Amino acid sequence: MIVTLVVLVAVAGLILVGAVAWREHRHLVVAESNRRRDDELHRRQEVEVVESETRLRLSLDAITQGVVIADAAGTVLYRNPFALPYTEARHGEALVEAAVAELLAEAAQGKAVEREVELFGPPRQTLFVGALPLRLDGRDYGSVVLIDDITEPQRLDAMRRDFVANISHELRTPMGALSLLAETLAGETDPEVATRLAARVQSEAIRLSDIMDDLLELSRIESNEASERAPVSVQHVISDALSRVSPMAEEKQVPIETVLPALELVVNADRRQLTTAVYNLLDNAVKHSEADRLIRVTTRLEGDCVEVEVSDQGYGIPLRHQERIFERFYQVDRSRESAGGGVGLGLAIVRHVANNHGGEVRVESTEGEGSSFTLALLVGVQP
Amino acid sequence: MEELRKSFHEELDEIQAGIVRMAALVSESIPRATEALLESDLKLAQELITADDDLDYLSVHLEERCHQVLALQSPMAGDLRALSTALRLNAELERSGDLAVNIAKATRRIYGTRYDATLRGLLVRMSEEACRLMRLAIDAYVDGNAGLAAALDDIDDQLDALNRDCVQAVFQAHNDGSIDLQAAVQLCLISRYYERIGDHAVNIGERVVYMVTGWLPEYTGSARVQVREQGNRDETDETDEE
Repeated sequence: MIVTLVVLVAVAGLILVGAVAWREHRHLVVAESNRRRDDELHRRQEVEVVESETRLRLSLDAITQGVVIADAAGTVLYRNPFALPYTEARHGEALVEAAVAELLAEAAQGKAVEREVELFGPPRQTLFVGALPLRLDGRDYGSVVLIDDITEPQRLDAMRRDFVANISHELRTPMGALSLLAETLAGETDPEVATRLAARVQSEAIRLSDIMDDLLELSRIESNEASERAPVSVQHVISDALSRVSPMAEEKQVPIETVLPALELVVNADRRQLTTAVYNLLDNAVKHSEADRLIRVTTRLEGDCVEVEVSDQGYGIPLRHQERIFERFYQVDRSRESAGGGVGLGLAIVRHVANNHGGEVRVESTEGEGSSFTLALLVGVQP
Repeated sequence: MEELRKSFHEELDEIQAGIVRMAALVSESIPRATEALLESDLKLAQELITADDDLDYLSVHLEERCHQVLALQSPMAGDLRALSTALRLNAELERSGDLAVNIAKATRRIYGTRYDATLRGLLVRMSEEACRLMRLAIDAYVDGNAGLAAALDDIDDQLDALNRDCVQAVFQAHNDGSIDLQAAVQLCLISRYYERIGDHAVNIGERVVYMVTGWLPEYTGSARVQVREQGNRDETDETDEE
């Protein structure tokens, strides 16, 4: 009986110990597997974090604006490739880096700030620098700076703005004169004065119609990109343009010298458009030259391009106007131009003709020494 | 020790960055001054005159910083030359900035004067040349390029020639009666300001040569003086003996 009891107790004890041990074992196994799972999760999370950071970094690298990120203490943590060169910049661009540092310091105070940095270069450029504090739920995560080159958008803006102003000015001047002349004419009794006024009315009307003609010509050239193309002799085009300009050149006593190559040069072009372009260049050269200042027209083969260069010894074009003179109605100096009588469409037409033919027009000029315009077109087949 | 040296070289780098920034302000102010002059832009001229305060501020702080480093770190050899060069460049750049301001001020004085295209063209070319020299001088400084630095003196000849042409053109314009005496004097001074900016760039070049090689062009002249004085002393010694 006692023995049975002892055995029973022993068995119960063993079972109990076994159960405890088993539970302990189970517990360990579960803990181990949990730990493994946690580790696995952790590793996966780590991989995800690295992946997402790489993705973000690559995205920021791909942005064509400058991005600079700093922590709450103001230490720069990251710069994308666009923003990187400014750290080692010299000359004007070193000022961009200075602006970035200043704006970062202001953004660290929790203010969103921006600034335009205008550099006179050369090259001339305008950069936008803006800084934003990075704050979420009252925590300071640092700040970000954006750098953007706004040179081109600003130039286009100025072009659009000036176009409207210029065309209104060009149309308004003869319009105003016409209205005044008509008013005077209405109350005029002296036939002699009336005749003179009528002549003035006519000349203003002609001026207006000239502007319209130029505008129509420009819009025709602009819209008519696939115009009639045929092999055209450049020599013929130049002599046509010369014969059109020579009466004015003779009147102003401006000599024109032509330098032609022995070989006949041919381009695939719209003859009418090309003649207009060369005539416009010559017309400008004559208008901006004083008597006895030589104008030289040089034609040459440069690689696979035919180049027609019209150089004068006139007033020259101030540097800051040089990139804008091909815009419609753009004029360097109205007071001087109005003496010449142009409306500022000639060079716009030249540029469009060049573009239509897959060529280009360039300008080089020094004030007081003269200007040189080069029209370059791809050489065509022999007729 | 390691830590100390590192911070010292960081300090030197920051001083160099300060010089580069001052030079950036100067090389930007030259074309600005020219634009204000040629376009008779009084607003731009005033901006330039005001902006000179920034340059002065930078200059004063940079100088203090150089002195501090000199006093606390007792640098030697190349480091010492780098610091004394920075001090000199600081002064040259500050003065160059003042010259650009002088052009802006002269712009106000001759406001309303119209002068011919030849003169305008010459002024533009002087401005470009002065700006180019200043940029080359700073390139030489940052790259430690003693060859380029030494060449600046010859490159400056171009600007000197332009200055002579410009003064000649001003005389011509005054003789023709197209500008009055007051404008003529101001224009000559303006031409001289550009030319002086070039001279400062040449000075910067000389200092860069010194920084890199430890040699100054003035040493040749001073060596001659020493030889001469030595000779004089020898002679007096001899007469004393007699």
